[in-house]
Amino acid sequence: MSIKSGYFKKILSVDLSSNACIFKNLPDDFLEEYIGGRGFGAKLVWDKLVECDFSIDPFGEENIVVIAPGPLTGTFLPSSGKCSFITISPSTGGYGDSSSGGSFGVELRQTGVDAVSITGKAEQLSILFIDDDEASVIPMPHLAGKSCLETEGIIKSHLKTHELAIAAIGAAGENKVKFACINNDWSRNAGRTGIGAVLGSKNLKAVVVRGSRDLPVYDIKGLMAEADKAYTYMRNHKYFEMWQREGLMNVMEYANTVGILPTYNFKDANFTKIKNINGETMVEKYKIGDSACFGCSMCCGNVCLIKQGKYIGTVTEGPEYESCAMLGSNLGVDNFEAVLSANRLCDELGLDTISTGNLIGAVIEGYEKGVLTLDDLDGSPITWGDEEAILALIRKIAYREGIGGILADGSLRLIETWPEMDKIVLQVKGLEQSAYDSRAGVSMALAYATSDIGAHHTRAWTIAKEIEQGKDWTPEEKVDLVIYHQTLRPLFDMLGVCRLPWIELGLNEKHYEKFYSYVTGKEAKLEELLQKSDAIYTITRLINTKLGMSRKDDTLPYKVYACPIQTGATAGKVVDREEFEKLLDVYYEKRGWDNDGIPKEMV
Amino acid sequence: MSKKIAVIPELCSGCRICELTCAIHHFTVNNPKKSAVRVIITYPHPVVRMPIICSQCKIPACAEACPVGALKKVDSIVELDKDLCISCMKCVEACPFGAIFAHSDVQHPIKCDMCGGDPLCVKNCPKGAIQLIPEQALGESKRINNVLSYAHMKEIEYMEKGEKKVIRYAEIGKEEL
Repeated sequence: MSIKSGYFKKILSVDLSSNACIFKNLPDDFLEEYIGGRGFGAKLVWDKLVECDFSIDPFGEENIVVIAPGPLTGTFLPSSGKCSFITISPSTGGYGDSSSGGSFGVELRQTGVDAVSITGKAEQLSILFIDDDEASVIPMPHLAGKSCLETEGIIKSHLKTHELAIAAIGAAGENKVKFACINNDWSRNAGRTGIGAVLGSKNLKAVVVRGSRDLPVYDIKGLMAEADKAYTYMRNHKYFEMWQREGLMNVMEYANTVGILPTYNFKDANFTKIKNINGETMVEKYKIGDSACFGCSMCCGNVCLIKQGKYIGTVTEGPEYESCAMLGSNLGVDNFEAVLSANRLCDELGLDTISTGNLIGAVIEGYEKGVLTLDDLDGSPITWGDEEAILALIRKIAYREGIGGILADGSLRLIETWPEMDKIVLQVKGLEQSAYDSRAGVSMALAYATSDIGAHHTRAWTIAKEIEQGKDWTPEEKVDLVIYHQTLRPLFDMLGVCRLPWIELGLNEKHYEKFYSYVTGKEAKLEELLQKSDAIYTITRLINTKLGMSRKDDTLPYKVYACPIQTGATAGKVVDREEFEKLLDVYYEKRGWDNDGIPKEMV
Repeated sequence: MSKKIAVIPELCSGCRICELTCAIHHFTVNNPKKSAVRVIITYPHPVVRMPIICSQCKIPACAEACPVGALKKVDSIVELDKDLCISCMKCVEACPFGAIFAHSDVQHPIKCDMCGGDPLCVKNCPKGAIQLIPEQALGESKRINNVLSYAHMKEIEYMEKGEKKVIRYAEIGKEEL
């Protein structure tokens, strides 16, 4: 049985160099095989690589950025506002993707396309405007240097409408900072792998969409009935109200308690001043509203306002857990107002808060240990909790000033410049590690090492389970869970929905086979969808393999092996190299890859 | 008893579930643009999330603007008579709140009909930001908020059975006017 609905069967292909916007048909077997989102992206990036004989400069005109929601994006079911951005990443030189919530992906689909692919480079700074079935590239050089938030405002007044959606880059993207993000709906970010910098290299400041079409759904009554069950389940969950109240900020206390909270550049896993920067403090003193992505009842986003003091008037959407941990405890900052201000600054400049917080943490430790001199820091010292210096360094990164110019090229350039920094900065494949300390559980270390985009938790987040299971968990079980996560979590990105209802509230993943079937009219079992997601993981692995990655890159930061966690519930923990390598063997075997991590499809 | 839809923007998260349920119920399509409610968001100055929805005015500007008398107050709802409507969309422009909507695929203006008395937007809002209340209760939350934030109130904190409590009071005769 084949696809009956769920797609417009169209992709908009934009070549900025020749100023061409062409709508192309997408064949049924493409839709069935790759589903959407990251699935489309991986396939299109692969095709581009084949066309370029596997040589793509991430900042070259030949690089491709795919913007792809999924067939479920914008449909009536929980948290359906997701959209993926896929490219060859300037951070890792390999496959890169990042997803973002909000309403952008919904509005994009309503223009009548399933995806957009962008190649080439515009002559001057421009925007891409997709207005239902008309697409055009409009030069707007006066947007140069404007913040992501300002850009939205300027475009809306220029186009004389408020009711559209915008994804924009800030100064960091224009300056090709290798961890620049794409900011949509004001403060929803496709944060990781530096896709904002790729758009910057293409002189594309923003993608603007306005659509009016019905999103194709095969059986809308069936979908509504199934969605009602899911919404009801979520509403009745014991943590539902807590999610509405604190959103992702509730993870701060959890991470601190179980000992996985990055603190002082992953020296500790527990922050003594946690009470100053936890969810409760946010709700009591700063929160002024909720912010939800399309169709989401959990509304994990928070809007905060600083009502007094030197940062008075600062409004921010967030912080969520990662931003608060990386810009807070990881930098020894216990002033929540400074965390909010740093978060807002990153939103304006279009910087990924995870990489930014991670790199600044490394700089502070590097300076403390004498690896970096005052000269290296352009004469401005920086220490734990020094909020002024941290905010100044964030700006220097975005504008590539002084040491900011080196940090802007990411952790690999930092290590290249000061080799001793390899023992200080935490990264895998060039992507800075996100805010869960993997020394607390080797399965999380495996997740970071084998993630196709580098040290990010988006592919697998097994740490909670490992802490729960303790020593009763066999290596096989650990590997199985990592692989299951690496298969199911990307499936959410392919379908165009958020994984939080599943991972946080335990919404049964079986719902998604029904959602898929009702939307596309093609009966599918979860297992079949997982097989398709697994095939995408093989493609992204093949991309990385072709670009020179193998077992030598499925590695862990020095600290994870060599420096035990100092304080907290996991104090003393460190990953045993031998145990990790054995786990990696099991992982490759279960994946069907050879001992060097090469998929058999390569042969 | 006449009931009114009341919007509490402070509670709105901007999820747009109201738009989608409205569109699906009235048009059986998954299209948030075909609904009689729209969430407007401004950020960061000012921060507002507000569902725009018909107030069922007692003296409806839309009805006054209608050249063929297709909009009439029936009981407490301003109803659109589609047989009379000529689809000129004057009502859409006349509504002071922009709470009647137009869409190129839809012949008539899209206007809230209160779903026959049990509005789906109210039922499905996960935050309780759209409520159905007796007409005389309109403004209730504003009144109580106003009282609670009474400018001259003083605050003291104290402990009772190990629990932190706050009492608020006004220092009569001492406030600066």
